[in-house]
Order: sequence, then C-alpha cells, then structure tokens
Amino acid sequence: MNIQVLYGTETGNAEMLAEDIAAELEAEHEVTATNLSDFDPADFDRGTLYLLVCSTYGDGELPASAQPFAEKMEAEQPDLTGVHFGIFGMGDSEYEETFNGGPATLAELMIARGATQLGERIAHDASGADMAEDLAFPWAEEIVGMASDALGQAA
Amino acid sequence: MTGQIAIIGAGPSGCFLAQALLKAQPDLRVDLIDRLPVPYGLVRYGVAADHQGTKAVTRQFARLFERQGARFFGNVGVGTAVTLDDLRGAYDAVVLAAGLSADRALGIPGGDLPGVHGAGKLTRALYEHPEAEALPELGPNPLIVGNGNVAIDLLRLLAKSPEEFDGSDLGAGPSDWLAGSGIEEITITGRSPAAAAKFDTVMIKELGKLTGVTIRVIGAGDSDDPEAQKKLAALTALEGGDGPRRITFRFGLTPLAVEGEGQAAAVRFDSAEGEEVLACTSVLTAIGFDTPGDLPRDALLQDEQDGGLAAGLYATGWFRRGPRGTIPDNRADAKALADRILGELTPDPAKPGAAILQGLDAITDYDGWCRIDSAETANPPPGRCRAKITTREAMLTLARQEDMQ
Repeated sequence: MNIQVLYGTETGNAEMLAEDIAAELEAEHEVTATNLSDFDPADFDRGTLYLLVCSTYGDGELPASAQPFAEKMEAEQPDLTGVHFGIFGMGDSEYEETFNGGPATLAELMIARGATQLGERIAHDASGADMAEDLAFPWAEEIVGMASDALGQAA
Repeated sequence: MTGQIAIIGAGPSGCFLAQALLKAQPDLRVDLIDRLPVPYGLVRYGVAADHQGTKAVTRQFARLFERQGARFFGNVGVGTAVTLDDLRGAYDAVVLAAGLSADRALGIPGGDLPGVHGAGKLTRALYEHPEAEALPELGPNPLIVGNGNVAIDLLRLLAKSPEEFDGSDLGAGPSDWLAGSGIEEITITGRSPAAAAKFDTVMIKELGKLTGVTIRVIGAGDSDDPEAQKKLAALTALEGGDGPRRITFRFGLTPLAVEGEGQAAAVRFDSAEGEEVLACTSVLTAIGFDTPGDLPRDALLQDEQDGGLAAGLYATGWFRRGPRGTIPDNRADAKALADRILGELTPDPAKPGAAILQGLDAITDYDGWCRIDSAETANPPPGRCRAKITTREAMLTLARQEDMQ
C-alpha cells in the first residue's frame, strides 16, 4: 500500500513520531513522511492512505508547519472525495481547554473537503504515562487494516 | 567527515541547531559544549517543574546523541576551561547558543534592597540548579513585577497547593519551601495595559485550574484587537474562586522605586492615575534576562546578521535574539541558521576539533548524563517523576561511574 505520513509540528515531536511511524510501516508498505508545510493539497491521491500526525500549539491552534497547508486548503478548495486518512493527535493535558485543538482543526479541514476519516482521532498526552509511539504504532496498524478494505473498494 | 562544528550551549536552541545540521548533513561532526555537567539547559532548569509535557522535547534531543552522532562535552566553561578563540581555531564553525542566564535588573532606586529577587535566581533555586542560591523567605505578600510567561510561571508555582505538584519533578526541598511559604496574597503587576501584556493566553487559562486561590483582575480595560480580546476574556474568566490564597492582577503600573528600610516593603509605581504605592513583603522581578558576562555578548553581536557574527562564528537562540520567544520559535531560528552555516562551511581537515578539550578535568559525556538521568529517575519520591541530583560534585561522581553493577 502507498502510505504518506503527513505531519504538522511546532517543536519537532510530531515530526519525530511521523518518522518513527514511517520506519515502523516501511517493511511492508511504500511509506514517506512529509511535513505538511511541504505538501500541496492538490497532490492528494485517492490510491494513497494518509496518516496525519499533528500537534497543537498556542491557544489550541494548528502548529506552525500545518498553517501553510491550512491556508492552501482554504485557497485551493480541493475536492478530497475518495481520499482516506487517519489522524493521530499530540497534546498536553496541562492545557486542558485547548488539548488537541490542532488535530481537531486539521481533521475538520479534511472532512470539510470531502475526505473520509478512518478510525477515531487518537490523542496522545505528553503529560501522561504513555509514550507516543506505544499508542501510535497500534493505531497505524489498525488504520492500515481499515484502509486495505476502503482503498480496495475504491480501486 | 564534512566539517566540525562546536555549539556552545546544549539547551534547546543548541540542540535544535545540531538536529537541523545533522539532518541536512549526517556526516558532520557536531559537538555540544556546556558549562554544566548535564545537557538541555532551560528545558531542565527553566521549564516549570509542573510542565513535564513541555520537557518531552528532550526525547528528540536524546536522539541527537544516540542516533545522529552528536557528542556532548559537559562541565566545560567557555572563557574559563577553554577560550572562544581556541574553539574557533579548532573547529570549522562555532555557534554561541549559550542563552541568557542573568536576571535583568530593575534599575530603579531600591532595586537591590534585600527582599528583591530575580525570577531566574528563584527558578534556579526551585529547579535545583547546581549553582542556585538558597531559597529566600518571601513573606505573606510577594509582589511580582512583570507579566510575561516567566512571571506567570512564578505566580502559578507560588499559588499551587502541594497536591497540585503531583507528577512534577519538583524537589523535596523546594516542595517543602512552597508548602511552608505562608503566602496569603500575590500581586502581579505589568507595565503595559492588559491588552498588551506579554503572557500567552494559554498560560492564563491554565491558572483557571488552580484550586486554592481567589483571583481579582483590576483595570484590565478593553481592546478592539481580536487577539487582545482573547487575552482579556481569559483574564476576566479567571476572576473569582474561593481559595485561601489571593491573587491580584494589576496593569499599567511602571515601577519607580522599591521602598523599605533595609528590606523591600513596598513598590512605588507610576500609573495613568498618578503614583501608587503597593505594600508587599518581597519583590520578584520577571522583566527579562541578560548575559551573565562570561562571554562579551554585546561586542560579539555588534555586526550580527541572521546569526552570523564573524567568519565561522554564529549565534542562535536567546543569545542572539534576546530573551524572547518560546522553545519552537528558537527551533525555526536554528533551522534557518543551519542552512546558512552549511552554505558557508569550508572544512579544514587539519583542525583538531574536540582534541583541544582532551586535557581538561572532569568533562562529562552523553553516557555520563545517561547515568545521572537513570539515577534521578530510578526511584523518585511519591508523586514525583524525578529527583534531581543537585550538586556538581555528585553529578560528576555519577557521570564518571562506569557501568558497575
């Protein structure tokens, strides 16, 4: 399966996790990890599974590297019908009101353009006991499993 | 090897720079040199003890040393153990990422009275920096001058009840000190109006979780700017509570003098309504940071341009930008600087690199730090995630212990 891990990062933690997820999946799939700041929404491909990894910054906003992507989505208004994605959020529950605000916004952006979200949006908590990858690897496997059905039907 | 780069300071700015350099050019030799025996600078000694999520960034930095090949040379004072010129002679490029560790002085009459404490001095003591002074007596009514994020950190720490430090790495001494502080009322004052206050809204919202406080906000005013309105709304939402500890926010107060007979007892301010005197039992200043003077920052930065200072000499982070900006702001700066350095680098294989550090006493390396880290996290006290080793001697002893069973 073609998988592209797209990450929105501010301090680099989401970038590190995205690279780890790509490394974890690359034995069995064609995987790339790309910063959302370097990705054009016009390039979404219906035959590729997108795994989004995104943090939150400031007052619940998208992290810096996801902001140019959000602007391009607004400007280009691409039709993402048939595009499948899963989304993994990174946050810090010390800031409880805005916890995981960034990933929620990113998922909304995708769904508003017609994309299909696979699975639940997972929220890792940097103030919690779990390591991000301990949640993210099983999540990625699960989404890949769901995608083989979804992308199979689309093909 | 495609060049040797020394980064002075293994705090977040230095680590982000090393990360960007090694991502772009994995064959580089990148050495991080720090005056402390341990890495990570302000992440360890400046990020609040109750913000462990923010400290998770050190997992990235650990990879620098474990997978990307960066090396750590701790307990090396630049200017004392080795000079900046020596390093410039030994490396193809040298980057100053030493931060700013001295508290900016109030610069007003009475500003050096006993009972006036800088935020950096106080947080170093709270976070058990090996060079920290003893924690001072603040009395029941401390007054904070400044309203940036450092001031809000201080306010939150002083206002928290003991159980609100669960999960933190606040040490036993500082925990007892906070629990026994006897603080009744904290006043926090800012020079600017609330709409222009320097704190981030998210820091204000976090104060809404405090359980043991009653909060008043005096003279917040209003604004047409949407960003400022968010700030004001977050402040107003804080008002109320029924805890025993009172917090008062004041704005538009420019300090004129600290008053008191041999001990700070009040601050006289200028405001739009004229002069006002606020009584207090101690004054905590959080108005920025300066260089401690071990590197001639002003002279070095004279011709600074986008991080470049002179041939092969660069600066990043707070040392370059001044005491502004969060950890990720400095990451963006480090990435841009890495591109510039790589564009200008002209490797000279004859340069000795870290060999010039070889004769120095008691250098620590990354493995040494790992031994310290393991010792700190192996058996933390109840409710804590770490018990910091607090003295340089103890750190050095641990760092030098080879893996003995």
